[in-house]
Amino acid sequence: MVTEAPATREVADYKEISASGRRYRLQQSAIDIAILFVGLQILSVIFALVDPSRFAYLNSANITVALQNIPLLGIPALGVGILMIAGEFDLSVGANYIFSSIVVGQLSANGMNQWLAVLVGLIAGTVIGLLNGVITLKLKIPSFITTLGTLGIWNAATLFYHGASSQTYTPTGILNSLLNGNFGPVPAPAIWMLVLAVGCYALLQRHRIGNHVFASGGGPAAANATGVNVVRTKMLAFGITGFMAAVGGILAAASVGNIAPASADSLALNAIAACVVGGLLLTGGKGTVLGIVIGAFLLYWIQDVLLLLGAPGFYLSAFVGALIIAASVFYRVISTRRV
Amino acid sequence: MTSIEINEVTNVSSKAEMTAGASGFANTVGDAATPLLELKEICKRYGQIDVLTNVSFTVNKAEVIGLLGDNGAGKSTLVKTISGVVQPDQGELVWDGKPVQFNSREVSANYGVETIFQDSALVDSMSIARNIFMGREIRNRFGFMDLRQMREIAAEVLKTIVAIEGIDSPDKLVGSLSGGQKQAVAIARAVHFKRSLLVLDEPTSALAVRATEALFDYLRHLRDQGLSSILVTHDLYDAYRICDRFVVMSRGRTILKAAKSETSIEELTEKVSRG
Ligand SMILES: Nc1ncnc2c1ncn2[C@@H]1O[C@H](COP(=O)(O)OP(=O)(O)OP(=O)(O)O)[C@@H](O)[C@H]1O
Ligand SMILES: [Mg+2]
Repeated sequence: MVTEAPATREVADYKEISASGRRYRLQQSAIDIAILFVGLQILSVIFALVDPSRFAYLNSANITVALQNIPLLGIPALGVGILMIAGEFDLSVGANYIFSSIVVGQLSANGMNQWLAVLVGLIAGTVIGLLNGVITLKLKIPSFITTLGTLGIWNAATLFYHGASSQTYTPTGILNSLLNGNFGPVPAPAIWMLVLAVGCYALLQRHRIGNHVFASGGGPAAANATGVNVVRTKMLAFGITGFMAAVGGILAAASVGNIAPASADSLALNAIAACVVGGLLLTGGKGTVLGIVIGAFLLYWIQDVLLLLGAPGFYLSAFVGALIIAASVFYRVISTRRV
Repeated sequence: MTSIEINEVTNVSSKAEMTAGASGFANTVGDAATPLLELKEICKRYGQIDVLTNVSFTVNKAEVIGLLGDNGAGKSTLVKTISGVVQPDQGELVWDGKPVQFNSREVSANYGVETIFQDSALVDSMSIARNIFMGREIRNRFGFMDLRQMREIAAEVLKTIVAIEGIDSPDKLVGSLSGGQKQAVAIARAVHFKRSLLVLDEPTSALAVRATEALFDYLRHLRDQGLSSILVTHDLYDAYRICDRFVVMSRGRTILKAAKSETSIEELTEKVSRG
């Protein structure tokens, strides 16, 4: 039975509910890492203003190189992140990135229409992703194992199809501007990353498919019992991951001018690292697109800072490693503080 | 302490029918004499174990069935079969006189079956509102969710229909709720989307007395409106108070089917405990 409460109390209750709702929503956003990120940027900028000769952080070349390079990790990380939220891994994104871009490079070099070649490369990447999904979901084995296997297979396919030498890639005209040009001061890859990140945000956090992605990763049995098609949702996530890997590979090929078959061996682990730094869980069901983007920025940022300060190369991997561990500890601490 | 008060709020349930999709099967199904659901010789094996063997019974319109039996008798498996989550190896389901195949939860939901699963079927890492609408999101024609409306309805259902204590916002993660609060969220979801048949698999196992009473009042109220329920419970006193008919299972078979007037709580106790 509903008890009739005085109207004024109802209003107070409702305001309380909506206020605490904002608090919960904020906690579930990437607010913590965003604040940390902004803080680090402010410190970096201050340091760069104080001592520009020792720390050329604001140097336009430094910024341009950053905006060129972050997307090459960030775009594949978007796919890897969506897949991780859906509860699956793709360790083969690096192999896919290389294979798809070499397909594009070789087809273009052999005289295929360059637009068509890009389309073929994107389809190849998506199909490779979907294939991981089919193997994982039909044979019911862990995707970690599936993609460890396909990682080897697609690396071998690259060598079989192309060989161990580099493949040059020089798109021309409008395609070159789209892949490798500048929009004002901003390099094209950064624009693509922005566009794809907004698209991923809309899909993951605003669209019902995104709700199904979170449900499939967070509780596949519960998702299934409430009418979510878990297999279809995960297949989509595998496909998106493959597509994003191909986009990253093609952008990298265009900006470097060639593709070296062994150049993306650590991409999968770096993408997973970016996701973890961005607040995703290895167990799935949790994360934000903003978090993934910031994770990719931070992985680059720490290396950039060390390089600018003239630290020896081996420091880079040590600091990246420390960043990943520190991020995990950070999330653990804030998640146990608030319940 | 957990307390649930359940009540009918017409505008909320009409929203439920809007969002539940297929509308042809609303509360008024066929004529009153045709059974709502008939199970015919349902069999299910898991590996070497026969979990369900030739289970047959009928659910009429406007009645509450008590599905009873020892641990492992097969009650939850039967509930999942009726909900389309588990497919039977043999046997037939007949809905309002027509044979149907509940190949997925989506199909059974379209016929108007709403289930509270024994394990609640909630995702801890998602908010209450997103859990309640999981798989049946309120969305525009491009598939984008109306998160605000989902939050508002969730808050309304939790505050008015299922007035449970301690849930201050539909944005709270389900993982941070108590066992009884989680069960209340599962009840809220079922209550919001219910249309023809409510299947409740031990819905009160984590609820305090007051909340349990409120849920039973609500089931009686639904029966008065012509809806049917199947209640799985281990509390035979509760079952005897609220149910119109009983089906007792033992090791995958039905061993007693009786109306309340034909049986007694002693007989039910005897059958459930001796098998
Ligand atoms: N997915 C499965 N795979 C194998 N065996 C299963 C599966 N699900 C259930 N079983 C078995 O089927 C039998 C019936 O299980 P079920 O969950 O239907 O029992 P129940 O009557 O609901 O019991 P309880 O009262 O304890 O909830 C049990 O012996 C169980 O071990
Ligand atoms: Mg059970």
